[in-house]
Amino acid sequence: MPELLPDDPVTTKPMAGLVLISVFLLMLTVSWSLYDEFFGLRPWRSYQSEFSKAYSSYLEKQYTQRKADEQKFYATPQYLKMVADIKAATDAARTQDRQIGDQIDLLDRQRAAMTDSFQNSRGLVGSLTYQLEQIGEQNKNSYESKRKELNDAKAQTYDVAWPVEGNKIEARKFNYDQLNGLFTSIMTGKAKLVAQRGEVDQPAKDAQDKLNEYVKENLPGLASKDLYTLGQSIKGLDIRLRQVNVNPSGASLNNLGGTGLVDRCQSCHLGTDPLLVPVTMTLTKADLGLAKSTDAPFTSHPDQDMMKYHPLEKFGCSPCHGGNGRALDNVEKAHGRYEHWLWPLYYKENYDAGCQQCHAADMVTEHAPVLNTAKKLYREKGCIGCHRFQGFDNQDEQLVSARQAITQLENQKQDNRLQIAALNKKGDTASDNAAANAYYAEATNLTVTTSGMDAQIESLEQRSHNLLQEIKKVGPDLKEVRMKIHKEWIPYWLKNTHTFRPTTKMPQFRLQDDEIQAIAAYIWQSAITGPELPKQAPGNAAHGKELFEQRGCEACHSMGEGANMVGGDFAANLSRVGEKDNYDYLVRWILNPRVRTRPYSPFEHKDLGPEDYAKHDLPFVFDLDHSRSPNDGHELVVEQPTVMPSLRLTVDDARDIASYLETQKHADASYDPAPFMDDPKLKAHGKELIQHYGCAGCHEISGMEDEGRIGTELTNEGSKPIERLDFALYTEDAKLGILPDGKKSARGPWYDLKGFFENKLTAPEVFDHGKYKPDPMDRLRMPKPNVTKEDIDALTTFLLGSTDPSLPPEYMYKPADQRAAIQKGWWIVTKYNCIGCHQIGIGQKSVLMGLPQFQGENKQNLPPVLTSEGARVNPEWLKGFLANPALSTTDVNRNGIRSYLQVRMPTFYLSDDEIRTLVLFFEAMSSQPQPFIPQKLTPVSTAEKEMARQLFTSTAAPCLKCHATGDPGHDKTAIAPNFLFAKERLQPAWTERWITNPALIAPGTAMPSGLFNREGDRWVFSGPLPASFHGYMGDQANLLVRYMFELTPEEQRSLQSRMPSGGSGGAGK
Amino acid sequence: MKINRLAIYTLSLGAFALVLAGCGGNKTESTEAPASAPAANAPAGKTVDPATAGELTGTVKLDGAAPKMKTISTAAEPACGKSRTTPLTSEEVVTGDGGSLANVVVYIKSGLDGYSFPAPSTPVKFTQEGCQYHPHVAGMMVAQNVDVINSDQTTHNIHPIPMENREWNESQPPGAAPIEKSFAREEVAIPVKCNVHPWMKAYMAVLPNPYFQVTDKDGKFDLKNLPPGTYTVVAWHELYKTDPQTITIGPKESKSVNFTFKATASGD
Repeated sequence: MPELLPDDPVTTKPMAGLVLISVFLLMLTVSWSLYDEFFGLRPWRSYQSEFSKAYSSYLEKQYTQRKADEQKFYATPQYLKMVADIKAATDAARTQDRQIGDQIDLLDRQRAAMTDSFQNSRGLVGSLTYQLEQIGEQNKNSYESKRKELNDAKAQTYDVAWPVEGNKIEARKFNYDQLNGLFTSIMTGKAKLVAQRGEVDQPAKDAQDKLNEYVKENLPGLASKDLYTLGQSIKGLDIRLRQVNVNPSGASLNNLGGTGLVDRCQSCHLGTDPLLVPVTMTLTKADLGLAKSTDAPFTSHPDQDMMKYHPLEKFGCSPCHGGNGRALDNVEKAHGRYEHWLWPLYYKENYDAGCQQCHAADMVTEHAPVLNTAKKLYREKGCIGCHRFQGFDNQDEQLVSARQAITQLENQKQDNRLQIAALNKKGDTASDNAAANAYYAEATNLTVTTSGMDAQIESLEQRSHNLLQEIKKVGPDLKEVRMKIHKEWIPYWLKNTHTFRPTTKMPQFRLQDDEIQAIAAYIWQSAITGPELPKQAPGNAAHGKELFEQRGCEACHSMGEGANMVGGDFAANLSRVGEKDNYDYLVRWILNPRVRTRPYSPFEHKDLGPEDYAKHDLPFVFDLDHSRSPNDGHELVVEQPTVMPSLRLTVDDARDIASYLETQKHADASYDPAPFMDDPKLKAHGKELIQHYGCAGCHEISGMEDEGRIGTELTNEGSKPIERLDFALYTEDAKLGILPDGKKSARGPWYDLKGFFENKLTAPEVFDHGKYKPDPMDRLRMPKPNVTKEDIDALTTFLLGSTDPSLPPEYMYKPADQRAAIQKGWWIVTKYNCIGCHQIGIGQKSVLMGLPQFQGENKQNLPPVLTSEGARVNPEWLKGFLANPALSTTDVNRNGIRSYLQVRMPTFYLSDDEIRTLVLFFEAMSSQPQPFIPQKLTPVSTAEKEMARQLFTSTAAPCLKCHATGDPGHDKTAIAPNFLFAKERLQPAWTERWITNPALIAPGTAMPSGLFNREGDRWVFSGPLPASFHGYMGDQANLLVRYMFELTPEEQRSLQSRMPSGGSGGAGK
Repeated sequence: MKINRLAIYTLSLGAFALVLAGCGGNKTESTEAPASAPAANAPAGKTVDPATAGELTGTVKLDGAAPKMKTISTAAEPACGKSRTTPLTSEEVVTGDGGSLANVVVYIKSGLDGYSFPAPSTPVKFTQEGCQYHPHVAGMMVAQNVDVINSDQTTHNIHPIPMENREWNESQPPGAAPIEKSFAREEVAIPVKCNVHPWMKAYMAVLPNPYFQVTDKDGKFDLKNLPPGTYTVVAWHELYKTDPQTITIGPKESKSVNFTFKATASGD
C-alpha cells in the first residue's frame, strides 16, 4: 500500500457533509417540483378533489333522501291503487290478449309454412303470364300452348305442412289461387287481430301512462338509481384538465385572435359542466356544505334556462364573462385580472355586459335585467341627449339621411329623363329598325324604372313626415317657458335641481351663479310670448285628485315625496309642480300635451305665427293634417316633442286635474326675484353657455334647434383603449388602487374601464381634480347624473359591454324571423311606456299593478293584460285602435273598447311607422303568421241562431250581465266589452280558447272559467241547456263564437229584450 | 281454587285494561270531534295535551252606531228573488243586541310555534242562495276543503281574490255539482266576489290552526282546547280595525277577552 499523501483531499477533507446537504437540497427541489407539478402549477387539481368530496357527499345525501321519498311514495295508497289498476286492467285483458296472441302466432306460423310454396308458385305464374303477354294473341298456336302451360302452373299443387289450432300440423295441398287467397286472408286477419289486441290492451296502457304522469308530477328530478350512478362517478372523479373548444369558422372570439377559443374554466368551476351536474339540477355552495367558503367555485350556472340558448359548446365562457379562459396557473390569471389582459372577468354587478356585446340591438333582452335597466336609464335620464348611441332614438339622423336619399333620387330621375330623351333620339335616327327598336326598348325600360322611383320618393317623404312626428326630447320644451313657468323658479331650479325634485331626470350642472343668470336670461328672453293662452276657470281639486289616481296618470308620474312617493318613474314627480307651473298652461297641457303655441319651420329656422298664415289668407291652424308651411310648403314641426299622450279629457276634467296639481306645493315656498332675466346684456353669454353645456340635447330651445349632441359617442365605449380615457391626476392612484376619496379600493387597482365609468358617473368632475382651470368653460362639462349606486352599476355594465363587434357576425343577435319584429317593437313599447299600464311580457308587472288603488278586488279596474294580444285581435283593427283608442272622432271622453274602465287608454299620436312596428310586435309575440289572413267561419244556420239566442238569454249563461250592450242603464254595471266589437276586433280561434278557459290566458280575470266542459272532442256548455240543443252534436263554444261574430246591433237589442229582466238595470239602480 | 283465582285476576285485569282502552279511545274521539280541535295523531310537532288545555272566550262589540246597510235591488236577476222573502241587504256590518258584532274572525295569530295541526277532513260549506253568500265570512283551515254550492236558479261565478294564495275564478251554473277547493296558505281574509252579481261579496279566512271562530250576531266566540301559552289574539272585520291583544293562558285556565271595534265613518 503506497503511503497516502498527507494532503490528499479525498482522505483529508471528507465531502460527506456537503454531499448530505446536496442530497437534502436535491430532495427538497425534487419534492418542490413534484408539489408544483401536481398542485402549485395546477391549483385546479385540488379544486377538483375538493369538489369530488363535497359533491359526492351531497349526492349521497340526495340519494338517501330520494330513496326514502321513493319508498314513501311507492307506499302511498294513491300509487298502490294505480299500480293495482294497471294490474287489474292487465289481468282483465290477459285471457283475451293471450287468445289473440295465440291467433296471431298461428297466423305467423301458417304464413311461414306457406311462404316458400307461395313464392315459388307466384314466381312461376308471374313469369308465364309475362311470357304469354309477350307472345300476343295473334300467334294463336304458341299462345294457346303457353296458356295451357299457365293453367297447369296455376293448377299445380304444393305440399304444405299446415299448422292448425291445437299446435298440430296437417299435411295439405294448395294450388296457386288457394295460396294467394290464404296469403291475403292471413295478412288482413293479422292486421285485424293486432288492432283488436291494441284495443284490449288499451286500458292497461292508459293506466300505465297515468301512473307515469303521476310519478313524473310527484317525484320530479333524478331517480335514486341515477343519483347513485352519478355519485359513484363523482367519487372516482377523473382529475384532469377540462376544457371547451369553441371553433367558429374564422372567428376571433373576445379579441383572442387565431381561429378559435379554448376555455378551461370547468377545470375549477366544475359545477358548470353539464356532464357532472345535470342541467335539471342546480348546485349551490350551501348544497355542498361550503356556504361560508370564499373559494369554492363549484356552483352550477344559475340561469339554466338561458344556457339553453347559449350552449357551452357554441359560446364557451369567456366570450360572455370575460377573463382569460386558457390560463390555469392561478385565479388572477384565469380571471384576467392582471395588467396584460385587456378583458378581465366582469364583476358580479356587471355580468350583463356580456349580453350587450351581441344584444346591442335589443332594447329589452330577456335574462338581462341589469342591462335592461341601463338602457332605460340611458334613454330616460337623457344620456342620449349628449351621447349618441347606435340604435337609440336617432330619428334626427334618419331624417337627414331620408332627405338626402330623396335628393339623390330626384337627381337620378333628372338624369334618367335626359337619358331617355337621348335614347329616343338615337332610335329616331338609327340606321335600321332592329337598332331603333333596341334603343326604344331601352328608353321604355328606363321610363318605367324612373316611375318606380316616384314610389320610393313617396315612401321616403312619408317616412320623413313620420320621423318628424317621432322625434321626442327628454326634457320639456323651453320655447314656451314664459307661458308655462313662474319666472323666479328657473334660476332656483338650475341651482337646486336635485334638491327641488330628488328624482328628476335632469342632471345637476356645475354652474356658477353668473352662469345661471346668463342661461336663465337667454331662455327667458328667447322664449315665445304668444298668442296668449285662454284664461281657464278654476276646477275642483278634489275631483282632480280622484281623476289623477283613477285615469292612470301614476303609470308614468309619481306623487308624494320621500317614502310617500307613489307611482312610476317614467315621467316627472309632480309633488311640487304647483310651485312652478301656470294654471292656464297646465290645463292646455293636460288636455293635449301635443299642442304647440307656434309651429316650427326647420326650413326657415323659425317659429311661425298667425302673421305668417295671415299673409296667405290662411287660418292659424297647424296639426298633423296641416303640417306644411304656408310660406314654402315644407314640413313643419307641429307638435310638442313629448311622449306624453292625450287622455282625451273634457275641459272640466283637465281643469280639475290642473287645480289638483296646483295644490301640490310646499307651503313655505318662495323664490327670490330675478330681474337679471330681463337683462339683454346677459343673453349672448347665456346662448354660449347653453351651447357649451348641450342643453338642446334634451330641450327644445329657440335658436338651438339644429344643435347636435355635444358628448362623445358611446356605441363602442367598452372597446376604448385605456390610454384614451383621461384619468388625469388619478392615473397613478388608480393603478395603485387608491380611490379619489383617498381610501384604498377593496378590489385593488381601478385603472380600467370599469373604474373610469363608475367614477365618472358618480362624480363627473372628479377628473378635473388638481387641474388649474381658471375659465369655467375649460372644465369638464358633464353634469352629475341623478342616479343611484345600482343605476351606476347598470350603466357601467351597459358601457362595458358596448364593444366593437369583435365576435363573429353570426353571434350578433340580429334575427331575421319574427323575433326581429319583437326586437324592434320593444323600442317603441318602452319609448311610450306601454308597460306602465299593461302587462306585455309574461311575468312582467306594470306600474299600475303595484299601486294601492289597484289591489285586491280592485285588480279588475286594471287595463287589460296584453300577453296574448297578437293572437287575440285582428291586426287591422289594432292599427285603427292604436291610432284612435276612442274608436270615435266625436265621443272621445272614454275608452273605445272598455268604456267601463276608469283608467284610460290615451291617444299617443303614434306615427304610422310606429303603429306598424307595434302591430307586428304584438303579432310576433303571439307567433302569428304574416301577412294576416282572417279565419273563415262557417255561417250560423237558422236553427243554430235560435239555439245561440236561447243560450245567450238563459239564466244559466251570464254573458250579457257583465258584457256591455250599449244600453246606458245596463252598461253602468258592465265590466266587459260589448260583443258587437268581436267581429272587427277579435280572432275567432282566440275567442274560443278564451271563453272555454280565460284563466289560462289572463289569470285573475273577471271572466270565469268552467263555462264549458270538454266532452270528447267538443266543448259543451256546463249549465242547463235550452231544449233546442237536444241532439246538437256540434261544438257549443264554437257555435257561440260564430254567433258572436255575426252579431248585429239589432240582434243584440232583440237579445236584450228577451232577457228575463229586460237585460237592463243592474245593481246600481 | 287456585286456578279459579288466577282466572278471576286475569279476567279482572283484562277488563280493567279494556276500560282503560275504552276511556283512552273516548278521549281521542273527543279531541277529534270539534272542528276546532287538533287531531290526536298529528304527523309532526307538538300535540295539544287535553289535560292541561284551557279556553278563551269573549265577545266582540261595535262601539257606535252601525251604519244602515244598503238594500240591493235584484231586479236585473229575477232568479235571485225567488228563494227570498226579505229584500237583499248588504252585510258589511251586522250587529246584534247591545252592539255585538257579527262576521268577525277571532283567531290566534302567534304563540303556537312548534304545534302542527292537520286540516279537518270535513269540508266547509259555502253556499250561494238568493244571490248572497252563506256564510258571509267563512273560516277554514289551511288545506281544508271548502265546498262551494249554488242553490240559485242562475249561474254564479266564484272569484276569490287572494294576496297570498292562488287565485281562481270559476262559473257554477244552476244545479252544478259543488266546486271543491282549498287554500294552501294562511290568509285573513280573502275577498270572494261574483262578477256576474256585483253586490255579492264574502270573505274566506284561512288559518293554520284550529283556534279561530267567526262571530255570530251575538258577537261571542269560544276557543276551546287551547294549550297553555301566550298568544296574540286578533279580531278581524272587513270594514273596521281593532288592535290585537296578548293573552296568557295557564294550564286548564279559562280566560275571557273582549274586542271592541270603533264604528268609523270610513264604512264605505
